[in-house]
Amino acid sequence: MREKLEGIKADMQKKLEYIEDLSALEELRLRVLGKKGELTQLLKSLGALPPEERPAMGQLVNEARQAVEALLDQAKKSLRAKERDLQLRLEAIDVTMPGKHGAMGHKHPITIVTDELKNMFLGMGYEIAEGPDVETDYYNFEALNIPANHPAKDEQDTFYVENGFVLRTQTSSVQIRTMEKKKPPIKIIAPGRVYRSDQVDATHSPVFHQLEGLVVDRGVTLGDLKGALSAFARELFGETTQVRFRPHHFPFTEPSAEMDASCFFCGGKGCRVCKDSGWIELLGCGVVHPKVLSMSGISPDEYSGFAFGMGLDRIAMLRFGISDLRLMYENDVRFLRQF
Amino acid sequence: MIVPISWLKSFVEIDRPVKDFVEDITLTGTKVETVTSLGSDLTNIVAGKILSVEKHLGSDHLLIAQVDAGEKKLQIVTGAQNIYAGASVPVVLDGGTISGGQKIKTGKLRGALSEGMLCSIEELGYTRQDYPEAPEDGIYIFPEVEAEKWPPGSDVKAALQLADDALEFEITSNRPDCYSVLGIAREAAATYNKPLTLPDTRLKEEADGDINKMISVAIEDPALCPRYIARVVKNVKIAPSPLWLRQRLIASGLRPINNIVDITNYVMLELGQPMHAFDIDNIDERKIIIRRARESETFTTLDGVSRALDPSMLVIADCHKAVAIAGVMGGENSKVTENASGILFESANFNGTNIRLTSKKLGLRTDASSRYEKGLDPNLALDAVNRAVRLVEELCCGQSVKGMADCYPSPRISWDVRYSPNRINRLLGTTLTSEEMRGYLARLEIKAEAAEPSTEFWTAHIPTFRPDLELEADIAEEVARLYGYNTIPNTLSAGTPTVGRKNYKQILEDLVKSAMLAQGYDEAMTYSFESPKAFDKLRLSASDKLRGTVKILNPLGEDYSVMRTTALNGMLTALSTNYSQRNEDVRLFEAAKVYWPKTLPLNDLPYEMNVLALGTYGKMDFYALKGALENLFGLLGIHGAVFEADKNLPFLHPGRAAVIKLGKIEKNGKIATQETLGYLGEAHPEVCENYDIGVRVLIGSLNLDKLFEYADLARQYQPLPKFPAVTRDIAMLVKEEIPVRAIEDAIREKAGAFLESVRLFDVYKGNQIEEGYKSAAYSISFRAPDHTMKDEEASESIKKILANLETKLNARLRDK
Repeated sequence: MREKLEGIKADMQKKLEYIEDLSALEELRLRVLGKKGELTQLLKSLGALPPEERPAMGQLVNEARQAVEALLDQAKKSLRAKERDLQLRLEAIDVTMPGKHGAMGHKHPITIVTDELKNMFLGMGYEIAEGPDVETDYYNFEALNIPANHPAKDEQDTFYVENGFVLRTQTSSVQIRTMEKKKPPIKIIAPGRVYRSDQVDATHSPVFHQLEGLVVDRGVTLGDLKGALSAFARELFGETTQVRFRPHHFPFTEPSAEMDASCFFCGGKGCRVCKDSGWIELLGCGVVHPKVLSMSGISPDEYSGFAFGMGLDRIAMLRFGISDLRLMYENDVRFLRQF
Repeated sequence: MIVPISWLKSFVEIDRPVKDFVEDITLTGTKVETVTSLGSDLTNIVAGKILSVEKHLGSDHLLIAQVDAGEKKLQIVTGAQNIYAGASVPVVLDGGTISGGQKIKTGKLRGALSEGMLCSIEELGYTRQDYPEAPEDGIYIFPEVEAEKWPPGSDVKAALQLADDALEFEITSNRPDCYSVLGIAREAAATYNKPLTLPDTRLKEEADGDINKMISVAIEDPALCPRYIARVVKNVKIAPSPLWLRQRLIASGLRPINNIVDITNYVMLELGQPMHAFDIDNIDERKIIIRRARESETFTTLDGVSRALDPSMLVIADCHKAVAIAGVMGGENSKVTENASGILFESANFNGTNIRLTSKKLGLRTDASSRYEKGLDPNLALDAVNRAVRLVEELCCGQSVKGMADCYPSPRISWDVRYSPNRINRLLGTTLTSEEMRGYLARLEIKAEAAEPSTEFWTAHIPTFRPDLELEADIAEEVARLYGYNTIPNTLSAGTPTVGRKNYKQILEDLVKSAMLAQGYDEAMTYSFESPKAFDKLRLSASDKLRGTVKILNPLGEDYSVMRTTALNGMLTALSTNYSQRNEDVRLFEAAKVYWPKTLPLNDLPYEMNVLALGTYGKMDFYALKGALENLFGLLGIHGAVFEADKNLPFLHPGRAAVIKLGKIEKNGKIATQETLGYLGEAHPEVCENYDIGVRVLIGSLNLDKLFEYADLARQYQPLPKFPAVTRDIAMLVKEEIPVRAIEDAIREKAGAFLESVRLFDVYKGNQIEEGYKSAAYSISFRAPDHTMKDEEASESIKKILANLETKLNARLRDK
């Protein structure tokens, strides 16, 4: 019996060396451990032994069975691993094949810039105000301290529609509409379309976009304007951006200024983008003119404010290095999909 | 306004390099746009004396000159024939450059060594108009006086006064005083806190005669002409102006003409006051009348053009005829010619607006009119006329008569502006003392003093050339810009805290855009105005409401003449652009405004409606576009959308068009009163042709304002189902023309409370299906919230559904 058991184990070990797949292994298992397997037969034959030998022999057979099972298990594991390796090898793909592109749309570059500015100003506590494109003379000019016969009202710049209405030439009209409706504190930006009768060329469009800002509260100063807009410029063009304020003239602010930012392209050394000046003209701004405040029903003795306005098309052109404004309104997808 | 820096320096000391000056004056408010370094292309050019001239033996037209160039003697070959031994000429040395930057090198010309080049005035970049003494053809030869001053080797740029820096300033409309060398010099003086030297206006007045007998002035409309001064110069000798004067004009962008005309231009540039010179013999009865032009009066201006005038325009006239259009241009009939012996100098002040309107009407904008239209100080006229006469005397080209005719009915006098230094500090965020403020104002010739000792107020006396200073805020700006905008500390307002946020509509707009972007639509932007022809291209009927537009009275052209009432034209134009560029698979959307007049003619602002325009060609079909919209509706929480076939949209394919309707969903699942929000479909083939698009395109438009009324962003969590669903598939045979929507409605109607979903998964026509019929296969799911659905429950519902389908639609189950 003992020799038989050793023989079965040894035989098994030998056979396992030649087995290459799981089904052959199963066959082998059945031949030893199956109903009619060699070991099973041996176990059945135990009944023929004298009762006093049975426990010892039984133990021997069981030990042998466990040993065989362990061998089979081990073999099975290694065969499985082998098969998986093979499978994984066969399933290898070429990862350099082109990716599959699901649909994905592209925001217009002007929207990208507008959204970015909106988010910056929202973070600074501004709300977003709106006003109509077709405006009254009052909101577009008069209330902004641009009296009749002001050269800016000249037909050369303004599109007129019937009954003295105009296409707004500046988003500043929204300042007035806001001040009429709202009591200070007022802190708004107003992005939108504006219109000037400029012939279409690489840097002019009769339709373009501006973003206006207005802050009115008690004790607002020119220093506050500088602080807010410097922070904005750094946000837009990076932490190292320098700004400078130049005195300028706008009828609806006094004092008025233009703000230049150090050229983000060359860092202020002078290049093609900044026309060698090191500065990029970014926006117009100023302390709200007292006449504008009073016309809108806000007492200049009690409140003061600042306002600013910038061209979004221009900022988008700067930001993305777009050299021809016409591309913005042609909607060629080869252009749109670059952003 | 272009000013050579040398001219500025004659009024104020500028000891900083040009680059620094440009920066400094820009930061006090007078912006320098460009700096042009005059004569910078001319290098290594010196005065040379010709020692001898001989013929070049190898050529019949070349000459060989020996030239004393100062340090060296040179041999130079030239083709010019006007040189002679002893002449002093400009010599370009080896390696030097002439106008345009062309480099001159030593070389051989027909075998003879040439160590440089002799220059004509043209080769220096000028003309005989600028240097009248230059020969018509040949080398420039210095006049004897000059030759003595500039020995061989002297820099020619100095001798011909060619080196200067011309600064171009941007002058804002509130500062007419700065359209002058003096005005900018005054700003420079204020910037550096240096004294300003005023132009010399002292006169000799050597001519005989009583000015009052020589000329009289009458202003008929003082509102349009606040002041008119006339002075008379006799014994005039017309000649070229001296070099220094010519060079200042040239550097400022004007061309010299003759001494008298040059003087008027010079004074205009220097003081900002336009001047005019008349030949006094052409003023009938020596009487100047400033009057409105007569109805249909015609007048020939200096440029030889006959112009039709009207009574809105002002003219300078004598008793019989107009001699100038006031402030715009003089007349041919009174221009100063070579033979003039007496001159009348006009220095006048006109109403700026009137000049602007006249100039615009005539289409004639001149140096004079562009200055007048900004509104000049009438007090300037006196200095200007005296300055002109002073120059006549300096140039020895005439003698002035004592006195002037000055008609100035209501002189402009200085006014006061009250300000509080405290309030100015509070506005600027500064802590300047009132004394510091006084100092800054003094630099600008504004005298300020404490108003009453006991109050905080001060009084500023404003000089008459600064009409822009009216209020305390104006004074604040003057103080701030001289203190330095960039010196004012940056602060962050400690005012009332505010919360930045988008309103509901703005949030919805963002969602619309992100829904379209996420579905692969690129964002387009098109013009808000278009051609009225767009409506024909869209096949709109003559009476279509969309043809009622807001019209632009002064459009850039017909193509931009009406405000759009639909965004389709812009979208189709964009698709057409892409098609012509052979771009494949184009998907575009635009969040656009359209403009609907409330009434026509317009007596109120139009209704500006926000729409979503869609356009696509390539891979997408009707259902893909519909699906994109359904996704959008889902995102906005809108559930009651219905797409209904519509054959009556002229721009859409009648068999492939739908209107989009929305209504509130009622409790029974039905959609209540529906309103139309837009449409989508395939563009009509004719429309495609009109836009030169050779493929099928899909377009759509949706009224966003209306859509937003149905939006609901509130979301409520629904527990995930605990019990499994039972799904049954049924395939129904129905008449072909029955829309699947009707089948689904019939299914839903009888599906019972446990219906979870109805999904159409196949529509089939053809083999095995009776002619005129189609098979529509649905997958119907039931799920109960509280128990596992039993087969019998589902079967019961399906039975009811089938019965309903049969009754309603005569539909039967397709045999398996």
